[in-house]
Amino acid sequence: MVLNYRTVLAIVATSTMTLVAGCGSVAEPDGAAGAGTLTGKTSANRPGDAIPSTPAPGKVTLKEDGSTLLLPLFSEWATEYNKQFSNVTISTDSGGSGQGISDASDGAVDIGASDAFLSVGNLVQNPNMLNIPLAVAGQQINYNVPGLRPAGAHINLNGKVLAAIYEGKIRNWNAAKIADLNKGVSLPNLPIVPLHRGEPTGAGDTFLFSSFLSTEDPNWYAKYGFGAIIDWPSVPGAKAETGNDGMVAGCAATRGCIAYVGISDFKKAADAGLGDAALRNAFGNFVTPSPATMLAAVNSFISATPDNETISMINGPAPTAYPIVNYEYAIVSKTQRNAVKARDIKAFLNWAINTKDAKSFLGGVQFIPLPAPIAQLADDQIARIK
Amino acid sequence: MTGPAPAASYAAPPTAPAPVSPRLSAAPVPPVSHAPPRRRGRLSLTGDRGTPTVLQTLLVGLIIGSLVWGVVAALTVGQHSSAAKEVASTSEPLSLAAQRMYLSLSDADVKAATSFLAHPPGGTPMPLADRQAYDADIANAAAELATLRSASTGVDSAKFDKDLAAISAGLPIYTGYVQRAQTYSSLGFLLTGGSFIENASEEMHLVLLPAASDIYSQENAALTSASAQATGLPLIVVCLLVAIAVGYVLLRSQRWLTRRTHRRINPGLLLATAALAISTIWMVIAFASARSNFGEGLGHGSTPAESLAQASIAAQSGRRFEVLNLISRSGASSFQAAITDAQKRIGPGSGSLLDAAASASPSGAGADAAAARDAKSWESASVKVFSLNPATSTYADLTGLVIGTGSGSSQAAFEKLETDLRSGIAADQVVFRANAASGSTAFDGLEVAAIIAMLAMIGGSAWGLSRRLAEYR
Repeated sequence: MVLNYRTVLAIVATSTMTLVAGCGSVAEPDGAAGAGTLTGKTSANRPGDAIPSTPAPGKVTLKEDGSTLLLPLFSEWATEYNKQFSNVTISTDSGGSGQGISDASDGAVDIGASDAFLSVGNLVQNPNMLNIPLAVAGQQINYNVPGLRPAGAHINLNGKVLAAIYEGKIRNWNAAKIADLNKGVSLPNLPIVPLHRGEPTGAGDTFLFSSFLSTEDPNWYAKYGFGAIIDWPSVPGAKAETGNDGMVAGCAATRGCIAYVGISDFKKAADAGLGDAALRNAFGNFVTPSPATMLAAVNSFISATPDNETISMINGPAPTAYPIVNYEYAIVSKTQRNAVKARDIKAFLNWAINTKDAKSFLGGVQFIPLPAPIAQLADDQIARIK
Repeated sequence: MTGPAPAASYAAPPTAPAPVSPRLSAAPVPPVSHAPPRRRGRLSLTGDRGTPTVLQTLLVGLIIGSLVWGVVAALTVGQHSSAAKEVASTSEPLSLAAQRMYLSLSDADVKAATSFLAHPPGGTPMPLADRQAYDADIANAAAELATLRSASTGVDSAKFDKDLAAISAGLPIYTGYVQRAQTYSSLGFLLTGGSFIENASEEMHLVLLPAASDIYSQENAALTSASAQATGLPLIVVCLLVAIAVGYVLLRSQRWLTRRTHRRINPGLLLATAALAISTIWMVIAFASARSNFGEGLGHGSTPAESLAQASIAAQSGRRFEVLNLISRSGASSFQAAITDAQKRIGPGSGSLLDAAASASPSGAGADAAAARDAKSWESASVKVFSLNPATSTYADLTGLVIGTGSGSSQAAFEKLETDLRSGIAADQVVFRANAASGSTAFDGLEVAAIIAMLAMIGGSAWGLSRRLAEYR
């Protein structure tokens, strides 16, 4: 088809006007009905590209490195997969999402685990890489605030207040801006100690948290932006920690702390006596993280998800949606060094996404399974591994 | 011959006996030759044969020689003329269309990403001026794509068709992602919008720009090939060799006839020789003129324009990397090396694209000097971007340097450089087009002239020699 520029402009102009909000979901701007349909690409998962359900015979070790949020799940999966396929050993590591992307791109590991999708910068430098969602995760905001009344109450917070805390503009738990969000809750006179991740290669949780702050606060967006690495404002007492476990341990040891922690450490945080905040979502409702609120969030983005599943799901447009939700990604090269390696990786990813055995481990780390259309797109991506 | 020839009546036989009916006469008495003995290595027109046979042979030979010359000359002129017109009317415009398509696509992506980064949540995701500039880029790219698809291009390959198809399919996908980015951003889902900008850039970097670059390379190669055909030597050399050979035969024939008949001039052969000489000289002048014009156009127009276009592509590439570096912020990607490499290729400096353009382009000297100055400014701004101290600078400092409009910003320097490069390209293209137009008209009328000359040569030879032959009948 010869593309007439007027046609392009007409498509663009039409799309602009097609904004329909309904039932808590964002309608496709171009009227596309299903996930990935905008691209016009056909499904890669054709019958001829069947994904193997079992690994190749022969002993093999698949190396994984990356997200500390994914590490607990990967550890469980590694053990279970080895039980089912004793010839396959999965080694795990927790260098952070940035390290996972870097290692997978360099070929140092077979699977990089990341809370953030590949940036276009990563893809330009490594165009062979895929980001394949494995599960839906979220991020909690934990705090160590003794003396809260009623005991066990969830402190209400929103993005602007969080940004002000991390900028050092709100320094005490009983500050008026926090109190305004928490009527009926007695907040102690206690200095706030913000914790952030300090890995030099970046952290997916930092990407998620700064994404939420940037969405909510134009000032934060203009000054600090979002990314796996942030030039954190200088705040007296602020600390950098390593990994989610480090954030939980650091917060438990610091009265008045506030920390962003991957949902997989939900139980660890609770066991350490940390509270978890209720965050204000796009509808103005304060919501705590749970499978139901995370599912509400991810469902509101299903129709918008492109074929490569690169999408940010911050502040999902649903009344009960928890606002910091993301896909946990496996970062994998499309081109493996041989067919056996390709088959082993495809079989494992298929197992992780689609089998009941693998899904049974998600609850333990507070993740939820991919909705069916998203799992289908993930299968299409897995089928592209050669 | 027994005595001096009579002063010259064409009807008069070269020998004394009165004409007799060939039927009644014995074989014609061969004229006594006063010619010097035949020397080895020189053309002998008689040998042991009789004069009529020689005359007949000469006649046939000159007619064939004239025909060969006429065909070769017409073919040569036709090919050069056609190639010259192809350069001016097809190859150069299509090469330009491919260049513009690449630059429009690249510029659209830089504008979309920059505009997205520059405008915070709650604001207009793409202000009207940015939107208009982006729309113009997309419209230009689509228009150039349509030109390339519909043109009878010199490029004929499956890869070329595949590249065109990739852009035709990928452009709506790209604009769809940008539109999604704007829609989600304007609804308050800034980061979702951001992920669609990344999807759009991915489509641009991995699909559209590689295909556009391939198309440009192929169209540029077609332009170079057509230019070489318009000014290439082999055919004109063959043509000149044939002209020399035919001319030599004509001159030797006239000399032989002069000695044989004591007539100083054979008007028919003289006419043939004049026709050959005039058309050959015309052809040589036309070819020299076309070659000179195309040489000037290519050397001082197309070549520097190509260098500046390559510089512009490199600048766009470096600029995209600056913006991508700002978008990515993943900690895993550094584009500094790629930007530095692009700036080194642009120059100024020994072996750089700007130096190559400046040395070949007297007409674009002003723009080239400005480009060299602004390239330095852009390089300085880029160095500042990557030398920012994370401990003492903020994201706002970084964005201010990369996408700010202040005088020291990378964006301001880049935009000045782009303006200079476009001015330089436009000036060089004027030089090329003017020379290509002159070059392509140099052969006008010559093809017909070659055919007329051939007919004159055939007619002259036939006339001149048949009169002599008639004397033996």
